[in-house]
Amino acid sequence: MPDEIIYLDNNATTRVAPEVFEAMRPFLEGNLYGNPSSAHTFGRQVRRSVEEAREQVAAALGATDASEVVFTSCGSESDNWAIRGVLESAADKSHIITTRVEHEAVRILCERLEQRGHEVTWLAVDEEGLLDLEALRAALRPDTALCSVMLANNETGVLFPLAEIGRIVREHSRALFHVDGVQAVGKIPINVKELGVDLFSISGHKFHAPKGVGALYVRSGLKLSPFIIGGGQERGARAGTEAVPAIVALGRACRLAQEFEGHALIRRLRDQLEDTILETIPNARLNGTRDRERRLPNTSNISFEYVEGENILAGLDASGICVSTGSACNSERHEASAVLRAMNIPYTAARGSIRFSLSRYNTEREIAYTLSVLPGIINRLAEMSPYEEALGRRGEAGKS
Amino acid sequence: MKNRKRRANDLLSSSNEMSFYPSRIQQHFDAPRNMGDLADADAIGDVGSLRCGAVMRLSIKIDAKTQTISDARFKTLGCGYLIACASVLTETVKDLPLSRAALLNEAALRDWFGGLPQEKAHCAVLAREALHAALADYHNARQEEWTGDEALICTCFGVSEKSIEGAIDKSALRTINQVTKACNAGGGCRSCHPLIEDILDDYWRNVSPKI
Repeated sequence: MPDEIIYLDNNATTRVAPEVFEAMRPFLEGNLYGNPSSAHTFGRQVRRSVEEAREQVAAALGATDASEVVFTSCGSESDNWAIRGVLESAADKSHIITTRVEHEAVRILCERLEQRGHEVTWLAVDEEGLLDLEALRAALRPDTALCSVMLANNETGVLFPLAEIGRIVREHSRALFHVDGVQAVGKIPINVKELGVDLFSISGHKFHAPKGVGALYVRSGLKLSPFIIGGGQERGARAGTEAVPAIVALGRACRLAQEFEGHALIRRLRDQLEDTILETIPNARLNGTRDRERRLPNTSNISFEYVEGENILAGLDASGICVSTGSACNSERHEASAVLRAMNIPYTAARGSIRFSLSRYNTEREIAYTLSVLPGIINRLAEMSPYEEALGRRGEAGKS
Repeated sequence: MKNRKRRANDLLSSSNEMSFYPSRIQQHFDAPRNMGDLADADAIGDVGSLRCGAVMRLSIKIDAKTQTISDARFKTLGCGYLIACASVLTETVKDLPLSRAALLNEAALRDWFGGLPQEKAHCAVLAREALHAALADYHNARQEEWTGDEALICTCFGVSEKSIEGAIDKSALRTINQVTKACNAGGGCRSCHPLIEDILDDYWRNVSPKI
């Protein structure tokens, strides 16, 4: 086992960047503990830092005005607030359009809303994970309140063409357009104005800020019913004393993301990992479109057919490599992920799906090491699999 | 700074020591016993779980003379818990008489691990089902191969109707238990118990006028 952990699960969460940590540190150990709502010096100092962070987030998202950014506790809160807030503000419209591959924060919420009487249109994806935009056009109605579509899929990295979706939504309805952008920030450039979105959710810990902070972009002119009611923080949009250190960290992480120049390296390492696996491991197949322009540059979701994803995870874990699988058998029913099911990935493939997701901190050496141990792990599990024929291992039957 | 670094490393290394699975499961995941196929298997049990989608194959070799499982191998597409259950199952059934193998249940496997989490209990069930499927495979093959004139009643031990009647007649047997003790019939999977019951009924109905 190597001395250090090789972390290839950056779509789950990321390490806090040292620059981000340094930015938030004075707000944890120094005198900068004031309440931003206080009128005195301590309050005003901190208020200034919160507003600075707001500007940093607005800049990273391409918002015209910092006041369009509202801080939240996480991506799920942003998603929940956006969707419920829109429905509450538009009582005459109750139809929702979303996709079958959204993050749980959107998908499970919409399922619940559906149970409570809202009509929901679930847009399907094809085997590459891509949307049929004609279906979206056909689904839009006068009473459509909201269209909620993610920018980048957390499991496959597949990107949805938001600019086109936004245009269709505006041309064919009066619905608002919410985007779960959690998985995209820090990985690809974002411009909410160009994308034509009304609401955009982000989460700090996906791009090197700590856990527990997110934001919702609310296009200026749009009045969203507050989700958390109380004091007048965030100009009445979200009550609760601001999580100043985390907000400062989120702002710093946004600036760090904007200034980052190493995207090409991440992409090269990902390509190298993906290409080598697909070329050298016989039962490997890519989940999500092969068109890399339509996928996040850091993500590879690969199925190792006829072997168990959880066991690959355990094998890599024993080698100090962290990844995730789309098929965890930790529930009563073993379920392949909703995303892979929506893509019609065969069951025997979905079962062996592994997501590799890289960050700025991964190195060539780490990728080389991963590529050196992976074939052995897959081979051992393939020997154990009763699907010899499918694996082309018929001749080996009978060997012990 | 150095101190802080060391503490972080300690935390990491102590978490490394904790294996992915609990240790009794992990040891079988790392080194499964009897993994593979048997080229000359006498019976094969292929099962799948509707609940979790896992599949398992158990291949067994049977010593016809002693009616004992002489070798067992498994293959599986399933989680570490199923691998461990299958691994322990193969160890358990080796050298086990068919009559006892037929009675092996999932509780025995669960107990071996000192219990299984609720959500993994079905792994032991699937392993047991693989064993029973293999035994059924063996019995079906025996039934097909049977060339005797009389009907074969107990396929586990290959006891014919005539032999059972003979045993009943010889020792005036009244119960299935007595029949099993006398000639092994009914000592395996118990699926023939209703048939033995019928044979007992018929026998005593026919002889009763003599009394």
